[in-house]
Amino acid sequence: MTRLGGRLAALGLALSLAAFPATAAQAGQARAQAVQEPAEGKRIVRLGAIQAIDSMNPFLAVRVISTSVHRWMYAYLTTPDSKTLQPSPDLAESWQTSDDKLTWTFKIRDTKWSDGTPVTAQDAAWTLNKIMTDDGAKTANGPAVENFESVTASDDRTLVIKTKQPQASMLELPIPIVPKHVWEKVPDVGTYEAEQYPAVGDGPYIAVEHKKNAYVKLKANPAYWRGAPKIDELHVIFYENPEAANVGLKKGDIDWIGRLAGPQFQALAGDPNIVQWNTQGRRASYLQLNPGAATADGEAIGDGHPALKDVKVRQAIHHAIDKKALVDQVQNGLAVPADGSIVPPMYKDFFWQAEGDTRVSFDPARANKILDDAGYKKGADGIRTMPDGDRKLEMRFSIHTEDPIEDKLAQFLTGWLKDIGIQLTTRKLDSNKFTEETGSTALYDIAISGWSVNPDPEEVFATHLCSRRPTAAGEGGGTESFYCNEEYEKLYRQQLAELDRPKRIALMKQMQEKLYTDAPIIAVYYPNNLEGYRKDRITSITPIPEDKGILYGGSGYWPVYSLQAPAGPAPSDDGGAGPFTTAVVATAAGVVVVFGLGLVLMARLRRKGDDDRE
Amino acid sequence: MSETAARRRRALMRFWRDYRAQRAGLYGAAILAVFVLLALVTPLVTDPSGLDVTKATGPKMAPPSAQFPLGTDESGRSILLMILWGSRVSLLIGFLAALLSMVIGTVTGITAGHFRGWSSAVLMRITDWFLVLPSLVLALVLAAILGGGTSTIILAIGVTSWAATARLIRAQTLAVEARPYVERSRVLGAGHWHVMTRHVLPNVAPLVLANTTLTVAGAIVTESTLAFLGADAGQASWGSMLRGSYDWGAVTSGAWWYVLPPGLCIVAVVLAFTFCGRALEAVLNPRLRGVA
Repeated sequence: MTRLGGRLAALGLALSLAAFPATAAQAGQARAQAVQEPAEGKRIVRLGAIQAIDSMNPFLAVRVISTSVHRWMYAYLTTPDSKTLQPSPDLAESWQTSDDKLTWTFKIRDTKWSDGTPVTAQDAAWTLNKIMTDDGAKTANGPAVENFESVTASDDRTLVIKTKQPQASMLELPIPIVPKHVWEKVPDVGTYEAEQYPAVGDGPYIAVEHKKNAYVKLKANPAYWRGAPKIDELHVIFYENPEAANVGLKKGDIDWIGRLAGPQFQALAGDPNIVQWNTQGRRASYLQLNPGAATADGEAIGDGHPALKDVKVRQAIHHAIDKKALVDQVQNGLAVPADGSIVPPMYKDFFWQAEGDTRVSFDPARANKILDDAGYKKGADGIRTMPDGDRKLEMRFSIHTEDPIEDKLAQFLTGWLKDIGIQLTTRKLDSNKFTEETGSTALYDIAISGWSVNPDPEEVFATHLCSRRPTAAGEGGGTESFYCNEEYEKLYRQQLAELDRPKRIALMKQMQEKLYTDAPIIAVYYPNNLEGYRKDRITSITPIPEDKGILYGGSGYWPVYSLQAPAGPAPSDDGGAGPFTTAVVATAAGVVVVFGLGLVLMARLRRKGDDDRE
Repeated sequence: MSETAARRRRALMRFWRDYRAQRAGLYGAAILAVFVLLALVTPLVTDPSGLDVTKATGPKMAPPSAQFPLGTDESGRSILLMILWGSRVSLLIGFLAALLSMVIGTVTGITAGHFRGWSSAVLMRITDWFLVLPSLVLALVLAAILGGGTSTIILAIGVTSWAATARLIRAQTLAVEARPYVERSRVLGAGHWHVMTRHVLPNVAPLVLANTTLTVAGAIVTESTLAFLGADAGQASWGSMLRGSYDWGAVTSGAWWYVLPPGLCIVAVVLAFTFCGRALEAVLNPRLRGVA
């Protein structure tokens, strides 16, 4: 709804600020306080986010912004290596597996929580046991511990995890280890807000203040085992609307912003103070083709078009899509055409690319031939019909409302499919309804989707398993395709137990090839990771991976840990101004700025006139 | 019979004389005639395949040139072509939504004015309810629930905009039914249906016509607003063009040719309908007659 909000705001430009909902105004005011605060000679970096924290409780938080902040506050057992993205030591210094691959022994690092208490294996055991035993604590990372038999701390430095089946992704546990001595006092983790500041953590930063929907402030942790970060504070400022955040970056209210959309990214061009960060992204955008949806028990569900059950139709559609044109026209060139499947090329090890005969090229003639040969005859209106009946190949394309990129993609797809005799109508759904219709009730023919892939892509592979299809009651199991293929299931089970990395990668590549040729999903492109930061405020930052990687929203804490910034100006005299005064001053300053801008603009216009007259 | 025909012709002549006196109304009618004509001939003289993004030949966001008199959009489609085809969608939705709104409003208004007592009270409370509802938000929600499509948008606009018409028609119905000849007709044994269709309807019809003309203007604005807010009919309309220009940053990149034409077209057509409606009102509304 933020886009709608933005558009409404644009529509009602003439309306006064009084018309805004009170909460938004308050959040805005609080944000103004956060960004206007005098810097007091500290090294502060302010990150803008177009998303607010859903919960400061790491057992509940699911949004990217929240899990990122928790990555910075709490150590995980392992962290992706800053160069290779392979698991590397973090809270666990080293690890071993038993011969039967079922027992993992981690050696826990000797370090301290930010309140001075030593970090022990008991903390890790308590955290993992909490998720395994308390349903309220499963919200964020429940599936990650499903396969655990038991977790024990045999002494303060040794953590032992026993699993039911071998688990190759053990070194990629997305779970922040929290301090037992603080969290065991919480009566009900499932409803706990965790708004106690300063928080107790062992990561490079510690949260010291959080104002809901406005900002969260983090201070460098001097006791951090790698050494304190080189800046003093990291502020995360939340914006409702990407345009506002962009303006904030240009004005210098914030120093850095990640996960930009193409138009906003391009609007940053030409500003000498801003570095445009354009690297390969961790996301794959794909089309879901309803392959004859069924529940986990195999009972048919939904109203998908019967023609899509035919793999030939799905392959013909694949041939009809010009991915390069989509990248140029829909993404303004800020993406990579997908010649692979769900794993983006950023993950060099796991990425699989179609080559030779398997590669599906843009070839409408071939698509038409496939459909002709399969008996789908074209009628007088140019629309094909089913071989064994008179149902026409008229399909729906489900997209989200308020998304110009998906809208444009729909326009292109409609045009191409028309050329191969398939009539496509666009169906715009709000995100809840979209999730329901494409995830559990299967009321779709073709739909758009995408997945941000982790350094270990097991999670995204799991979204195409038979077991992830919804139950008979229609409860969603997290399927991304309603795909169910015995061969794919077998490969998945093999990779789960395969602890040899190269062999596991080979299995995962086979799974990608299976998805590519069977086409229950068709990857269209991998959007680039687009960010921007002010080079006058951030003197150095290292992406992850170090070679052309991501700054915000990647895995691990390397970019924020590597941040370097110049010290802010010395504290000014009005340092004691109350929040109300600050707000008033901010508002007044805003008015003055707007007025001044107007004057400058007018002056410039006039000067331009003078120049023209030469 | 010929006498009736002669009377009707006389009435029509009188109406035309009165309407001609309304200068703005004439301008409005002329502008409308041009737009309707263009909308009708568009399929005969242009090729709709130019609206297909995969067949677009122009450069992205190109300024007006000989080949593209109004420039191109973000996918290289001709703005002029989109304006022409968009006029069909905008006008169609405007007319049909106004028609729907008029039918609902007239039926409700006459019924509520004719049958007094609790049925009237119930109908009027429903009308009041629709009057106080924020109709744009309601239309947006309706369009979102029913899914995209021309008929959906027509329905969404129609069912949210009839309340004012109903109130107006009810007031006029009450005034008409208070006239002695209606009472006489009733005494002579006329039923509800006869009174409503033979006496009330002809008397409120002029008002309905004037009101509908104004409603078309409102419906076109609503359609554009809905399209701008994301609930479009899935075809190029002026509102969805404005939305496209906003989405693809036409203003920031200085592509005035993408923003101005659809905006000006909406203004022109809405203004034209308003002029016509006001003129009709001045001629036909007994309360306004002789004022203007």
